[in-house]
Amino acid sequence: MLLPSIENDPIPVQKGTYTRYQIHNQDAPDTEKWPSRFKVKVGKLGLAKLLFKEIWHYRGRKDVILSRPCMYGVFSGPVGGFAPREELCVGCLRCTTEFPDFVRIEHNPERRKLGDSYFTFNYVDAINAEAASGQVPVKGAGYRGEFGGEGWDGMWTDMSEIVRPTRDGIHGREFISTVVDIGYQPNFLLFDQEGQPYGPLPRSFPISLPMLFDSPPASLLTAHLGKILSRAANDIETLTVLPLEMVLQMKDYQDAIIPLVSPYEIEKLTELAFSPRMFEMESWDQALFNKLQESFPESLIALRAEIEDDHLLDYADSGVQVLHLTANYHGRSKDGRFILDLIREAHAKFVDAGIRGEVTLIGSGGMIAAEHLPKAILCGLDAVALDTALLTALQADFEGECLDRESSQFHLPSPLNEDWAVQRLKNLMSAWRDQLLEILGAMGLREVRRLRGEMGRAMFMKTLEAEAFADLEGYDG
Amino acid sequence: MADIKDKTAEELIVEKHIANLHNGFAQWPRSEEVPPALGDARWTAEMILSTWLMAENGDLPIETQRTPTGQSKGGFDLLDFKFLPESDWLEATDKIDLSIPLNRRGEGREIEIALPLYGGGMSYGSVSEQVMLARAMAAKKTGTFTCTGEGGYPDSLVPYKEHIITQVATGMFGVREETIKHAPIVEFKYAQGAKPGLGGHLLGDKATTTVAEIRESVPWVSLFSPFPFHSVYCVEDHRKHVDWIRTVNPEALVSVKVSTPTDVDMVAVGSYFAGAHIIHLDGSYGGTGAAPEIAKKNIAMPIEFAIPKVHRYLEGENVRDQVTLIASGGIRTAFDVAKAIALGADGCVLGTADLIAIGCTRCSNCERGRGCPFGLTTTDPLLSQLMPVEWGAERIANMYAAYALQLKEILRRLGLKSIGELRGRRDLLKYIGGEKGGQD
Repeated sequence: MLLPSIENDPIPVQKGTYTRYQIHNQDAPDTEKWPSRFKVKVGKLGLAKLLFKEIWHYRGRKDVILSRPCMYGVFSGPVGGFAPREELCVGCLRCTTEFPDFVRIEHNPERRKLGDSYFTFNYVDAINAEAASGQVPVKGAGYRGEFGGEGWDGMWTDMSEIVRPTRDGIHGREFISTVVDIGYQPNFLLFDQEGQPYGPLPRSFPISLPMLFDSPPASLLTAHLGKILSRAANDIETLTVLPLEMVLQMKDYQDAIIPLVSPYEIEKLTELAFSPRMFEMESWDQALFNKLQESFPESLIALRAEIEDDHLLDYADSGVQVLHLTANYHGRSKDGRFILDLIREAHAKFVDAGIRGEVTLIGSGGMIAAEHLPKAILCGLDAVALDTALLTALQADFEGECLDRESSQFHLPSPLNEDWAVQRLKNLMSAWRDQLLEILGAMGLREVRRLRGEMGRAMFMKTLEAEAFADLEGYDG
Repeated sequence: MADIKDKTAEELIVEKHIANLHNGFAQWPRSEEVPPALGDARWTAEMILSTWLMAENGDLPIETQRTPTGQSKGGFDLLDFKFLPESDWLEATDKIDLSIPLNRRGEGREIEIALPLYGGGMSYGSVSEQVMLARAMAAKKTGTFTCTGEGGYPDSLVPYKEHIITQVATGMFGVREETIKHAPIVEFKYAQGAKPGLGGHLLGDKATTTVAEIRESVPWVSLFSPFPFHSVYCVEDHRKHVDWIRTVNPEALVSVKVSTPTDVDMVAVGSYFAGAHIIHLDGSYGGTGAAPEIAKKNIAMPIEFAIPKVHRYLEGENVRDQVTLIASGGIRTAFDVAKAIALGADGCVLGTADLIAIGCTRCSNCERGRGCPFGLTTTDPLLSQLMPVEWGAERIANMYAAYALQLKEILRRLGLKSIGELRGRRDLLKYIGGEKGGQD
């Protein structure tokens, strides 16, 4: 297969010139041929009859006879409707409206098998389009889905009717920052009698957008994929979590890599030839924590923990500055609760303890659409580390239900072109960032840091429905 | 055959497709089969086909074809009426009044519409001139209004000016003193439900020479209606806007169209005190124009929740009877209109329903390529001929007539003699999404 040509960054930045953060989009069309969205069924006898009728009626005027109802080229092949090009069908239904007797447009059940029961084909379609172009999906004719629902679908974000200082990137006015700080920020500084600071000092670094890449699932731990993730993360000024074993094989883009270290890998740390900006411990282990502090004093230390873990405050007390809170790929904790509620709980724990500003909370699991990002931040995260969304951008096939990093089976295109894959990830991040700007702009917020935990700007279906309908007969909450 | 020889290919092509389309609009609703890919959770296939049938003949579809709810599993789809036992229904011969006043302030021009709904703003450029004209003709025939949207005021609409609301929005496209002078009602669009807080956007491909001329812009250049009004940062600023309109056209009523943020109740009260006659709430699930998908579902609350919130707040401020509350954003049927009124609105605005009446299949391809393949949301000169104006006007007026019949039937079964009596009658509604899982 001829891969599309993906050039390197098309706009070289010269030193000393004005620059502004931007992710450079470039078309990176699909390489895997997925089933078409629609099946186009044309009754051949009906079509033949129509042709004969029109030839007679229009006295052979070809331009009139060959004018077909499809504007998208479905009937543009050499034999027209006798062999429709259904991959071009957009489901406008004009053909079946004009010819109800012999044209049927149906949803393609094969297309609907993409993804799994959580990552349904609608999400796959959206990410595929975003990764191919980097554009924000825009459509007409209003909202087509269900009213609300559980989890992300049961939440709306607010907007501000009048006061709106920001419309970044769209109307070219004020800047909306998507920068977030990763690390430790003490609530206050202490100074000695000479005016010198003592005690805990801020230890953090900024990344340009509140999205990181989480470590790939166990079935895809290849150096090639590691390079793709780290190169894309580096290009857009963010970070990717990668297992230490994989990191040891890599030489490039080290600034963008967070080595994921297990307690049994302490000895291997000596093989690491660079000092990363941050490590992530696979689980809490005092010996590992001490070793990291001792051997890499400049690096921050994050801890990967299940989001429902009861000891999150204890980890922060022990010196962990960044917590990477995880649910499974379907956004569920081990006890089956959804990540949205668990983010709120985790955030509230740190708020109640008076140390929310001192730690960074990153979340993973079940965040598979652009709208999940601002919703997760509204509920209390500083940033998200994306997982299955990245694989979908690379046109990965899901094998059955894909629930967790350890057991899920995905199949990436083979061969996986590095330039193409990096561009797809950058496009996805660009599209999601632009959608984040839309949400922030609608609220009048000038930086994503202000969005964290802004619950006054969140609306939940259960609350609104109770306010609106509680007094109606039959309402039972 | 002589006429075929004499006609141009374009004329014949347009005629051919119009005939085929009209055949399909009539045939599908009567078919035992439903087009497999038609419809979605909000507008089901049955709902679309039922609307096509109403638009064709102005009658209520037969009982089995009525589809008062969609399959969205929330909002209007989980509400139903507590109809009286049949023995308590009003007589079929009893007169039922569907009219509502649009000015309740007790001063200024009295305007009443014959039924509690009018057409929402769709700009020239986002829809064809033919569609605008058809809606205006239908509004005149029905005794109600349609709205220009923010895209200027084509001259062809002037004969219908007594039934047209002029919209003033943030881009001020086509807003001129003379178009304000035409208007019995001027609508300030602060936000719209489909893309709350995001403003409007007409892609360059649709900004044809004629569209650009009427919008006083550059052809083939994308047009943005930036959000919000940059001269309005508070209610006092809004009041100055209202004063500007009153200086140009002292007789005009003022409508304020807002979206549904969490503080929509306070926005509504502020609008009233700044001089609005009509507060138009546009919920997040409607809209006909192109919008980012993320905005449609996720920003601002659905209209079903906003109506009671605003209605109660206005009551609490003792101003409810001095202002007309209009709801839009996902109103699909006469049942939805009635439910919105029972929740506290005075009336509703329709947008998508108008387009479905004239052939929209809600395929969402409005912005793709040349625009709508049915000739509705397009400025393509050939495509826009697919919707003949007279035919479109008749279809929309028929749908309104069917809505009126349906509303009267609902009121009759509730024992109410006017639509005004239904306002805020939450006691006549029941929630069917509880233990019964939406089944009734």
